[in-house]
Amino acid sequence: MTAPTLDTAPDTGRGTGAPRFLADLLRVFNANKLSWLGLVLFVGLCLAAVFAPLLATHDPIDQSILYRLRPPSDSHWLGTDSYGRDVFSRILYGARISLIIGLASIALGLVVGGALGILAGYRGGWVDQAIMRVMDVLLSFPTLIMGLLVVAMLGASMLNLIIAIAFTVVPKFARIARAPTIAVRERDYIEACRALGYSDLRIMVVHILPNVLGEILVLASLWTATAIRIEASLSFIGLGVAPPTPTWGGMIREGFEYILDAPWLSIYPGLAVLLLVFSLNLLGDGLRDAIDPKLRE
Amino acid sequence: MPSTPNSASDPAPDNAGVSDTVLSVRGLTTAFNRRGHFHAAVRHVGFDLQRNETLCLVGESGCGKSVTALSLMRLLPGRRQCRVSGSAWFDGQDLLALSEPAMTRLRGARLSMIFQEPMTSLNPVLPIGAQVGEPLVFHRGLSRQEAEREALRLLDLVKIPDAARRLRQFPHQFSGGMRQRVMIAMALACRPDILFADEPTTALDVTIQAQVLALLNDLRQERNLSLVLITHDLGVVASVADRVAVMYAGEIVEQAPADRLFARPSHPYTEALLRSIPRSDRDVGELRAISGQVPPIHRMPAGCRYAPRCPVAEAACLDATPALAPLPGDPAHAVRCRVRNPAAASEGRIGHA
Amino acid sequence: MLECADSAAPILEVQGLRKVFSITRGFMGGQRASLTAVDDVSFGVAAGEAFGLVGESGCGKSTVGRCLLRLIEPTAGRVRYRGQDLAALPAQALRPLRRKLQIVFQDPYSSLNPRRTVGQTLVEPLRVHGVAKGRAARDRVAAVLTEVGLAPEAADRFPHEFSGGQRQRIAIARALILEPELIVADEAVSALDVSIQAQILLLLKDLKARHGLSFVFISHDLGVVRYFCHRVAVMYLGRLVETGPVPAIFDTPLHPYTETLRNASPVPDPANKVTMRRLDGEVPSPTAPPPGCHFHPRCPKAMDVCRTTPPAWTTLSGGRGAACHLHG
Repeated sequence: MTAPTLDTAPDTGRGTGAPRFLADLLRVFNANKLSWLGLVLFVGLCLAAVFAPLLATHDPIDQSILYRLRPPSDSHWLGTDSYGRDVFSRILYGARISLIIGLASIALGLVVGGALGILAGYRGGWVDQAIMRVMDVLLSFPTLIMGLLVVAMLGASMLNLIIAIAFTVVPKFARIARAPTIAVRERDYIEACRALGYSDLRIMVVHILPNVLGEILVLASLWTATAIRIEASLSFIGLGVAPPTPTWGGMIREGFEYILDAPWLSIYPGLAVLLLVFSLNLLGDGLRDAIDPKLRE
Repeated sequence: MPSTPNSASDPAPDNAGVSDTVLSVRGLTTAFNRRGHFHAAVRHVGFDLQRNETLCLVGESGCGKSVTALSLMRLLPGRRQCRVSGSAWFDGQDLLALSEPAMTRLRGARLSMIFQEPMTSLNPVLPIGAQVGEPLVFHRGLSRQEAEREALRLLDLVKIPDAARRLRQFPHQFSGGMRQRVMIAMALACRPDILFADEPTTALDVTIQAQVLALLNDLRQERNLSLVLITHDLGVVASVADRVAVMYAGEIVEQAPADRLFARPSHPYTEALLRSIPRSDRDVGELRAISGQVPPIHRMPAGCRYAPRCPVAEAACLDATPALAPLPGDPAHAVRCRVRNPAAASEGRIGHA
Repeated sequence: MLECADSAAPILEVQGLRKVFSITRGFMGGQRASLTAVDDVSFGVAAGEAFGLVGESGCGKSTVGRCLLRLIEPTAGRVRYRGQDLAALPAQALRPLRRKLQIVFQDPYSSLNPRRTVGQTLVEPLRVHGVAKGRAARDRVAAVLTEVGLAPEAADRFPHEFSGGQRQRIAIARALILEPELIVADEAVSALDVSIQAQILLLLKDLKARHGLSFVFISHDLGVVRYFCHRVAVMYLGRLVETGPVPAIFDTPLHPYTETLRNASPVPDPANKVTMRRLDGEVPSPTAPPPGCHFHPRCPKAMDVCRTTPPAWTTLSGGRGAACHLHG
């Protein structure tokens, strides 16, 4: 059969420009109530991080040998760790560092990796070969070793930690971005763009990027958790954030030692990571749907 | 949608006297679920298929020609998505009432079907030989070796050169025309009575199309086969059809022996279709396009479904559904148009639901 | 029309166009093969003329179309548009000329960006080329949409809200918006149902007359070509086999391939059935075309010379030409 010609065009016109995108976003979010949940959770976590000094019940680095490894109680809602520090307060303060490191490194990785993947997929030929071979080499390093190398070369600081983690996700984003780019490149409308004299940059940004973004966003939300885990590992071996400063990853790592005696040490920061990833996932799904015009009905 | 089999108001044009009818379809109606409501994609389709005959179902996309064949082959999804009513008598049994296991025994054995895109119908990782023999293993219980030997014979039958070597090759090593030959070989493996061919040559180049049509024609005669050829191309119809049913919006609007249909197209849609084809053999002057487009199945107009696009439509056409009735003085030529065929004035009892 | 093709300087002149693709196969591109998709193709298109390019799949007709617009870089040959060789132009200098040459594709489902509204798709070329923006651009879009038979309100909708025929109208609007002089129509009506195909053909013919547009009309359908074109070139395995004015080339074909093609093309007339040759072979692979005349293995009139020597191009009377030893 040839293409169906059933015409189901609605009769309403719509406005144009940015307000419409927001309106579409709103409609998609309303259609998929879970996106709202994701947004609320994510904003909640961000606010908790920002207002940590107001919300915390204790000083996050204040040690107290007498109160070490206490289970959750009235005075310490989520218990205390091996130095007697309040877990709840440490999670709040840790949110600041973990959110910044997790989101910034993924954002950096997404921009660099996505750009490389689109460039490789769109140009093909030797450009593709060169970029993807480098990516494959990067990908062949275990994530932790990779991060370790970068931090070892650049020195331990928060910015370098972000760069190191971004480095580990760049090849993944490049791979993810390249496949849909190649599929879209073959479509006639890209050829029409070239016939209309558009620059390659314009074609990649305006016409290819939106096709790639949906998939990338969903995976970015997942990999944020990985980023936080890498941060934890690097912190653990002393290449991340220095010990007294609380980070979620660091807390989970430290808690491992006492996992049988004091499970709350790992479980609560773990839940915090889970909550963040969950919220980002729901958000990512909603954003992906909002970008697809076929789902905007 | 109520329907009465063999209802007088929904006749298939009878080829009176010719009793060698292989398949007799009456009141075939297939409705699809669209957001909780069932809409008929095929409505009150009736025809008789004779032995060793080529019947062409012709129409534009969305006219229901493929759905008709899939309904008869019982290849449509289950009752929640789609409902089929009416009757289709084949060898003393009603295909539409048959149990699924009984239908499975018939399908691929006595009723076969081939499709437009042979690449997607073949498994890319199995050699051709294994696939061509498969129906014989399944339906006849042949051993692998016997099936392989039979497959060789079948590839020879569909005139694939160097068949013994080709048997061990994979689908991607075959051209489009050769793949369609393979599909035909598979479809004919169990010597079916009826072959449904859904746009079998549409994806092929014209010179290859001519070869495949010739092959189908030869095989039909050699094997006393009945062929239901579904196509959008009236040129193909003119070349191979014995009888033609023109479909529009799920209904047969005109049915006649091929030469009479082309000599005297009587339904306004058939006429318009013929006038909108640019021809390679002579200058047609100005083309006449049909304005508008086929209505979607959930927004079918009341009355005659072609009326909104029809240049000769009268007020009455918009109200009453015309019947597919034989033209006065020409029992083999049926037309569903009250303006051109007084006998088609109304579907009477059946009406539209 | 023919006179102007012969006498007046053609708006587009193609000379010795050649495109070789290199294919690498196997591990690390171990096996290399080359495929000559277009082999020494020459023709000219006059202003206001519709020039047809017919042939079966793999004959190279679409590659020619893409080489004309430099969507594919030709390997050799000249593509002169108003005397300027497009094939030799640097990319920067080519960009302004792209306004003058546009393309319409076969598949209206893949030729429009599904994520952009019709309006966005149509405004973008105006902005990129600095032709118009804001209000003026929107007015131009409305005018073009009206011209192709759509309501101006279509600008606010997405491609998936339209039927195939309507999408093809949008694709035509996109090709028209920069007011080109020549449009390459690559199987532009082939994916459409006959009644819709007739609508689009009428639209194209109307646009051609109204704007004096030239067309390179690529199609496998002889009927469509006969209806739309003034002159035709028939291609087989990358080479031109015959060119000539339209009614003549189909009524009295000179090259046996043109004849085969015509006889195999179905027409809606039982008295004129397609000639169903039982076995005249497959189209050979373009990676390994037969020596001599590419058509000789399938040619009913093949002679010994055809198997060894490629026929030279012969110019014949009546504005016709053929590459066949029968007419050499």
